[in-house]
Amino acid sequence: MGLDVDKVREDFPVLQRVINGKPIVYLDNACMTLRPIQVIEKIREYYTEYPACGERSMHKLGRKVDEGVERSRETLKKFLNARNTKEIIFTKNTTEGINLVANSLDLKNGDVILGTDKEHNSNMLPWQKLSSRGVKYEIVRSNPDNTFSIENFKEKMNKDVKLVAMVHTSNMDGTTTPMKEIVKIAKDHGALVLMDGAQSIPHHELNMKKLDADFLAFSGHKMLGPSGTGVLYGKEHLLEKLGTFLVGGGTVVDTTHSEAKFEELPQKFEAGLQNYAGIIGLGEAASYLMKIDKENVEKHETELNKRITEGVGDVVDIIGPREAGKRSGIFSFNYKKVDPHEIAMMLDEMENICVRSGAHCVHSWFNTHNLKGSVRASIYLYNTLEECEKFIETLKKVIDAVK
Amino acid sequence: MICIIALVVFGILGIFSAKYRTIAKEAFDCVFRRLTLRKCTTGLDKRLKSQITGKFMRKRPKLGKFLYRHFEAISWAFTIVLIVSLGYSIYSVGNLFIYGNCNGPIPDAFCVFDPFISGGHGGECTIEGPVGEIMGVLEVHPHDPSVGPEDAKVTIIEAGCFVCPYTKQAVPVVKQIISHYGDSIRFVYKDFPMSSTHPGAQEAAEASHCAHEQGKYWEYHDVLFENQGKTNFEDLLGFAKDLDLNTTQFSECLTSHKYKSQVDGDFAEAFAIGVYGTPTFFINDQVVVGPKTFNEFKQIIDSELARG
Repeated sequence: MGLDVDKVREDFPVLQRVINGKPIVYLDNACMTLRPIQVIEKIREYYTEYPACGERSMHKLGRKVDEGVERSRETLKKFLNARNTKEIIFTKNTTEGINLVANSLDLKNGDVILGTDKEHNSNMLPWQKLSSRGVKYEIVRSNPDNTFSIENFKEKMNKDVKLVAMVHTSNMDGTTTPMKEIVKIAKDHGALVLMDGAQSIPHHELNMKKLDADFLAFSGHKMLGPSGTGVLYGKEHLLEKLGTFLVGGGTVVDTTHSEAKFEELPQKFEAGLQNYAGIIGLGEAASYLMKIDKENVEKHETELNKRITEGVGDVVDIIGPREAGKRSGIFSFNYKKVDPHEIAMMLDEMENICVRSGAHCVHSWFNTHNLKGSVRASIYLYNTLEECEKFIETLKKVIDAVK
Repeated sequence: MICIIALVVFGILGIFSAKYRTIAKEAFDCVFRRLTLRKCTTGLDKRLKSQITGKFMRKRPKLGKFLYRHFEAISWAFTIVLIVSLGYSIYSVGNLFIYGNCNGPIPDAFCVFDPFISGGHGGECTIEGPVGEIMGVLEVHPHDPSVGPEDAKVTIIEAGCFVCPYTKQAVPVVKQIISHYGDSIRFVYKDFPMSSTHPGAQEAAEASHCAHEQGKYWEYHDVLFENQGKTNFEDLLGFAKDLDLNTTQFSECLTSHKYKSQVDGDFAEAFAIGVYGTPTFFINDQVVVGPKTFNEFKQIIDSELARG
């Protein structure tokens, strides 16, 4: 049975909103997804029923927080098909997860980190920063249609490559890298693999045991979860070997004035008082997504993207491959030299169509291609065909005005 | 160019509401950068352009399209209009400060800055019927209440109505004039009760003369304006009692309409020369209709004093 979009939409209160007499057409899901009432209720429940400290307080409210956090960790373990809950570290977003690995992994002078040519700044700057230690950051050029080039990747792989840190699904054009193949090639060369899963986790089924990637970082706010939440997945034996990153309260068993005895996994990486409401809400978001067949989500998004591509694909310059099936739920484009912000704001002003414009934190790719940025419409499970038709119709009007 | 307009508009709105201050700051930054021959980096110009054209596109696509294509030229036009308006406003405020009205030495037009909305018609109470030109000057009679020496260089005659709000509005300025010029001027008050449009005006005027015969005209005059609109017999008698007047005499004076003919005479005389509303001031032979600022009166009085 396919995705029942009408039923899904009932769970999202913001979709019932009307601004200036018109409904919202939310197509900015690659930046931030909306939240279902179930997640909102979990957060409300924390603040109204047990807004206490976790991992410290022995009273009833504190214990209830611990239960909520651990239940959330358990849900995320299942969500990712991880081996155990020690592999689930709560962070505040993808960026923090990647920084944690970049700052804790034992990388030395001459080691090479390999990324793609369209990495988000969050999966590029932490590695570039290591150049002060002599660690080199190199990129694999994409194919002319912007899809991942496995040949270029193979050419780049050598014994110096210690980590392949790559985006799984690009936030810029929606293309997905063949991660299973990448992991295999990387392993053959003895390199570790870190996946930037910020854009893939909301849309694709990720089975970390099968994928065999060593690390995966993603954010809660892109998968129906609260803002300020994220997860770093890592294989247990690798996490054990990692040095500490942020340290402080919650990361230690005991301290003296000269040394500290650190906690076991995963607490040794979760410093300071945690975002308990967010973590519990994130667990609920994962739970919500687990009840929905991800294959149906992917199919739904591709169908809508195909319709948009048919509708305006010939009028605008699409970023990435022309085939909608290769771009997940992302339709990123430019119209001649018109400023992408202007198009985005006119769509918003005319029909409450929310899209993103700019460089989408992939400035490096846009600079290489001498572009200011793009307009990006990104689809998710609650978007409808009618919304896509509205987007097509309005975009045509905008283009008529600016051409 | 749109940033200049935004700076002025949101700068003014920002005085009243904090939510506009961020945009005003952005607009200032944008204008400053342009003035220093740098590119505006805030994106405010594009944002405003898209939002404004988007709003029009929603209902009038052709107009939206036109706006988008000629946005810079339209912004220039509005900026020029804005600068001219601002310049004119500054000039008017300057006039207000120097001459007491927006229009320079000759206060013959509407002035928005004038607290009394001076000039034109509408700042005075008028009689029913057509309004004509005032031809001539009122004559001062020995029984008219007055302040100041009879041989003063400047005589100001006010034709007023105790029930007219504009006459009341002029009271503080009249007091300021009397206080400022002292014996240099003579001030005379004459009745122009417009009973058809202002009920009770005739009774109040007659009552003021009943107080005058007991030597408390100006006190009663002030009380009538302070309690404007209270003109029934009990009210008028009550004011007399409050001023320690002989209430028996006052009551008889009122009920017998002792001063009716005098009040009627004042009205007829003024009406005959074309007075149509109150307050009307005669500063020697110059006529001023409606309440004005002290500075406006001062301009005329000083010129009359100088003329000698």
